Amino acid sequence: MSIAIEKITKNYGSFHALNGVSLTIASGELVALLGPSGSGKTTLLRIIAGLESADSGAVRLHNEETAHLNASLRGIGFVFQHYALFRHMTIFENVAFGLRVQSRRVRLSRREIRERVTELLSLVQLDSYARMFPDQLSGGQRQRVALARALAVRPRVLLLDEPFSALDAKVRKDLRNWLRHIHDELRVTTVLVTHDQEEALEVADRVAILNRGALEQFGTPQEIYDRPVSPFVYNFLGNVNLFHGRLLAALTAQGAADSSDAASIVGFVRPHEFEVTRALPPNGQAVPAVIERVNAAGAQVHLEVKVAGNKNPVAVEIAKRQFHELKLGEGEEIYLSPQSIRVFNDRAAAEQLLEQGAGI
Amino acid sequence: MHLVRLRSKSERAPSLKTTATRLALVFAALIFVAAFLVLPLVTVFAQAFAQGWRVYADAVCREDVIAALKLTALVAAFAVPLNVIFGLAASWAIARFDFVGKKLLNSLIDIPLAVSPVVAGIMYVEVFGLRGWLGAWLSAHNLHIIFAVPGIVLATVFVTFPFVARELIPFMQAQGCDEEEAAVVLGASAPSIFWRITLPNIKWPLLYGTILAASRSIGEFGAVSVVSGHIRGLTVTTPLEVEMLYNEYNFTAAFAVASLLTLAAVVTLIVKKAIELATGIHGERETGERAR
Repeated sequence: MSIAIEKITKNYGSFHALNGVSLTIASGELVALLGPSGSGKTTLLRIIAGLESADSGAVRLHNEETAHLNASLRGIGFVFQHYALFRHMTIFENVAFGLRVQSRRVRLSRREIRERVTELLSLVQLDSYARMFPDQLSGGQRQRVALARALAVRPRVLLLDEPFSALDAKVRKDLRNWLRHIHDELRVTTVLVTHDQEEALEVADRVAILNRGALEQFGTPQEIYDRPVSPFVYNFLGNVNLFHGRLLAALTAQGAADSSDAASIVGFVRPHEFEVTRALPPNGQAVPAVIERVNAAGAQVHLEVKVAGNKNPVAVEIAKRQFHELKLGEGEEIYLSPQSIRVFNDRAAAEQLLEQGAGI
Repeated sequence: MHLVRLRSKSERAPSLKTTATRLALVFAALIFVAAFLVLPLVTVFAQAFAQGWRVYADAVCREDVIAALKLTALVAAFAVPLNVIFGLAASWAIARFDFVGKKLLNSLIDIPLAVSPVVAGIMYVEVFGLRGWLGAWLSAHNLHIIFAVPGIVLATVFVTFPFVARELIPFMQAQGCDEEEAAVVLGASAPSIFWRITLPNIKWPLLYGTILAASRSIGEFGAVSVVSGHIRGLTVTTPLEVEMLYNEYNFTAAFAVASLLTLAAVVTLIVKKAIELATGIHGERETGERAR
């Protein structure tokens, strides 16, 4: 079932949670709403569910206006950040709840309910936990129960509010892969709220990036990663290094030419997009730098280098093999040339990001 | 649990660490409790049975004493359910919704705890009494509130008002409304959410508050004394009966009836403790869990 969000606005007193956000989600799609805290992503999800009401704008589920449709009638499955399992009920009863409260007309028989719950518990691999209570389960298991409970009523839309953020890194990774598999199996339209860019890019068909109550960009993970439309998006999707003025001119051929705009132009380079050499490359588009710190733990070697004229150190990632071939180490002098540099004509926004501790 | 907490505190405070200090403190506390609580309680029973079982039984079976016991039960039977309903409604409103005047309501609930019960009594006389604001209208319609049972119920409801709400509000606030929201999204109706989710979650603090309210409504003296009118057999509750017997120098009967009230208090205490043990309400483990 498709979801159409049209110019949704929501204020809490003087705080603008959402400023006219529009978004169309296709049937069967898995969309991630990605943004920092306070960006309005959870508010938007709760408005789709009917747990909050928008000040203006509309949400259409399958082309049907929902403004007057109570949350209990929307046919939605909702998974909460802190599971929200019914603590006084067994796992079985938790999953069965949505089936038991259906109106008599459509309610399944006791036997059918038992079959459906058993089926769902085996889908989330918790068959043997049916008689236990929520507080006897681990966080990851509880969230799987919450998902089974949400799926029990065969929702037309599945909404997940930072479902994995309370779990540790390993479990989080397992669960998101598993969520993707379940989605591929059931093909139910799914909206996932997260502040973890890795999670969004890995799991979702499309990612909507929200910032301060507005939609910054909406596209496939690759589009968003390769062609970010704003410094905010670029920065939010990973570590960045920021260059401007004379240094930017040295790194790009055209930078030096138009000096009138030079003050407002900034260039972004991701740590893994640098070419590191011992000597100045033939085209001359490189800056000299000194390695200040080396962290070789992990698949890549992380360098922190000092570039003359740049206030902050620059983060560089290179392959381990190259690191050894060049015989690099702390205090060594190198040349940095970006293989790819993304230039924005919006220095104010970029500097603001830098002040917030973005980049390195 | 309390012992554990005490010990860990004393470890942090070196001056209290010595055995001598600890013994002295424990001894002082025990002496205090014995002198001010246990001894008087024992006296009640000693006096009640001073002239033997027969006199005790006669005193308790007097017609006006039976009437007083019945009235007390009747008042509690009205006041406690009213309190449970008000308490639930107030806690629900305060814990689940944001509205103008929420803080004011939250403080107003405590007024009965802050104000002397006598003040509560004369307040009601002023409103419902013959010369009060509503007095003329009430007597014109032949409705008796002051110096009658409805007045006693009203006064009792007033003094017991905070007990249920004060137990429920912090509990419901700590618990949040995630579970109720989950139930809404799963398609449950409002009554269904209340009976299946909310009530099972709050049953222990609700019962705890109810027991406190019941014990207070059985024992309330001040407010009831003002609105009662002391008509024997009609508007005299058990605590008032004790006072009247005592003032009539009928000590044995007074203590006999007092022993019944004391017994009720002891039973309340035991039930309360049982709930605390069963659920960990007001204990460290449970509150920590809830806060999370």
